[in-house]
Amino acid sequence: MKYIKKVLGGELRQYTMVIALAALIIIFNIISEGRMLTSSNFQNLLSGNAYVLILALGMLMVIVIGQIDLSVGSVAGFSGMVMAIVARDFNLPWWVAVLIAIAIGLLAGAWQGFFLAKLNIPGFITTLGGMMIFRGGVIWISSSISVPAPSELKWFGAGYLPEWGPSFTGMNNSTLLLGIIGIVIFAIKQIQNYKHSGDITGQKDSISVPIIRILIVGAVIGYFTWLFGSGRPGTSFPVPGLILLVLVIIYHTLTQRTSFGRHVYAVGGNKSAASLSGVNVKKVYFLTMMNMSMLATIAGILFVGRSTSAGPADGTSWEMDAIASVFIGGAAVSGGVGTIMQTMVGGMVMAVLNNGLMLMGVGADKTQVIKGFVLLAAVAFDVYSKGSRNESIVGKIFGKKN
Amino acid sequence: MKNKVMSIVLATAMMATVAMTGCGSNERAQQAAATKEAAPVAEESAATEEATTEDAAEASVASDAAGFEKGATIGISLPWLGTQNWKEAEVMFKEQLEAEGYNVIVQAADQKVPQQQQQIESMIENGAKVIVVGPVDGSQLGSVLEQAKASGTYVIGYDRLIENTTGVDGVVQFGSVKTGELQAQALLEGLTKEKGEGPWNIELFGGGPADPNAPNFFTGAMSVLQPKIDDGTIVVVSGQTDFAQCATVDWDNSKAQSRMDSLLSGFYADKEIHGVLSPNDGIARAIITSCENAGQPIPVVSGLDAENESVEWVWAGRQYSTVAKPTDALVSKTVEIINSLQAGNGMPATDVLTNNGKIDVAIYELPPVVVTKENAKEAFANDPGRLELLK
Repeated sequence: MKYIKKVLGGELRQYTMVIALAALIIIFNIISEGRMLTSSNFQNLLSGNAYVLILALGMLMVIVIGQIDLSVGSVAGFSGMVMAIVARDFNLPWWVAVLIAIAIGLLAGAWQGFFLAKLNIPGFITTLGGMMIFRGGVIWISSSISVPAPSELKWFGAGYLPEWGPSFTGMNNSTLLLGIIGIVIFAIKQIQNYKHSGDITGQKDSISVPIIRILIVGAVIGYFTWLFGSGRPGTSFPVPGLILLVLVIIYHTLTQRTSFGRHVYAVGGNKSAASLSGVNVKKVYFLTMMNMSMLATIAGILFVGRSTSAGPADGTSWEMDAIASVFIGGAAVSGGVGTIMQTMVGGMVMAVLNNGLMLMGVGADKTQVIKGFVLLAAVAFDVYSKGSRNESIVGKIFGKKN
Repeated sequence: MKNKVMSIVLATAMMATVAMTGCGSNERAQQAAATKEAAPVAEESAATEEATTEDAAEASVASDAAGFEKGATIGISLPWLGTQNWKEAEVMFKEQLEAEGYNVIVQAADQKVPQQQQQIESMIENGAKVIVVGPVDGSQLGSVLEQAKASGTYVIGYDRLIENTTGVDGVVQFGSVKTGELQAQALLEGLTKEKGEGPWNIELFGGGPADPNAPNFFTGAMSVLQPKIDDGTIVVVSGQTDFAQCATVDWDNSKAQSRMDSLLSGFYADKEIHGVLSPNDGIARAIITSCENAGQPIPVVSGLDAENESVEWVWAGRQYSTVAKPTDALVSKTVEIINSLQAGNGMPATDVLTNNGKIDVAIYELPPVVVTKENAKEAFANDPGRLELLK
């Protein structure tokens, strides 16, 4: 048992959701007679949910600082609509329209951050206001009529990586390259960790631990590389998935490896303690909210690209999906706890659940009910299993580094 | 000691799994490669051979012209089940297609675009040969439907035009401009019969702007009403005659009711309202309720859909008219097209083409029927459910 723990690098509880996710995929695959684990289905799964997962990245940070952002769906819809309208009415090239949209996202975030950080109005109220303002704004500027988006954007929302190189690989080579890079980076990191494992304790870990880790993760990445790469010719790992992947790496690094990331957790764990230790709480609030709205804009752009036009109802209730992903991923309602990786797993659980139930032909009504129960069960389990011992703030901040 | 044994067992087990999945993927990758290479040479034979092993969606590319088997999967994607016509469509599609021997998947998207996109994708995944789409927003399904096309699935728009995509084969709907004309004609007829001499005071309501039909209804209606507005026979007291001003977001009855409330309190404090152009029955009832609450005599109100409650109201004389767009006619026409595709005859011929922003789409138009108290019995002669209401 100890050995398994060592391989997993922590407590088993941390992996409950990963196991649940794997179990869900396998169960759905069996029930749907193999329709779950197909290239096209996973491509759909990723490009159809990338926008929610991107929102969840920002939402995690917002929830970690102990706030909530209800405006993300409306901000996503608003900036997507502005993008479509400026591109159509002023004949701007698509990338200018995208930059304008991102600028609007940053402004919207600064607006919300200002009310939260400078005026001390709770995030719930600030963003409830934002939700109404930007939803109204979308309907206003669009007169409630959908606006076609520049067709180049389709590549971002539903596109695939290019085909190149030899055909004997039997896969899309871009995807293959991506998979190989993933495995190599993981392997290098494991070996580096292993090399430094004795630095503090003077006792090196067993070499078999990193090897088994590399083999398991390599096999999983390899399998998914094949799954994404071997679909219908012309398809590959989807572009929105790649954008998500890049963002996940950026935000994982930001929250785990930088001082800003540590400040985010510190503020969420105990605001006054953080403030007394010299963390600029207002700045953390401001930047986190600004970042959230910018990510909302990116999500909105991807969605518009996928839909080929921006609609007045875009973004409706997306915030709820994002918030649910974060909490299923094990974040604490009171703030201070939760990681990017767990949130992604939480989001994938929701996505797979949705997708699997649809494949089985279960209606939207029942799917909604089931998702509600899963959210409750996941959070209840988390609260229950944490109930026995409460980690200290210091433990929360520094306990993650093994 | 125990730990060590454990670790060895585990390690071997994991190695074995890795090795096995590795092999499996190699084999299947080769297979996939074989399909890819063979595809351009002899697409059809390769696809039929691979049909058993590869997923069905891929194989159906080749079966385009040849029709498909009788038990094939048909996907029906509806926007929601919140109004009677969609609920009826759900039931009728199930009944009629199952009676023909198809395997039917009906899903409703709860008025959410992303949900509908994912549902359509899961239908493609389930190997649907034809997907019938009643879109939530006719212009936001572009890439999903093109994906359906790429996998060889036929896409038929149902009741609403599908815009901004090349991935649609045809649309079955009631002539929407015609519907608007009929609504306006019924309104004028009602005003003449019930409200004495003109000029009459009226207000205009439009449908949900995301539904491409809604502006068409309005355009059709205005083509009849505008000349009468110009010659002073009718007066739009509020002056709101643009579609954007009159539209009802999401066809939401409560939004229409609050708009009517404010129109009445703002413009009709000292006037009587004689008529209202309403785009559908739910909104018509909301308008009538609003007028009753404001103490106005019930105006002449048009409608659409022949919902049960409105059929009763028409019969009782509260709502002047509705327009029946019999769901069964729409569903039967769609099923007829599916059967034609199944038999390998392709999409039936039609004269009506509409540009959807990307391509010209074949439109299969059906004529709607105006229903007033006078002709209700004949109009519903073949509809025992609604005939029952006329008592």
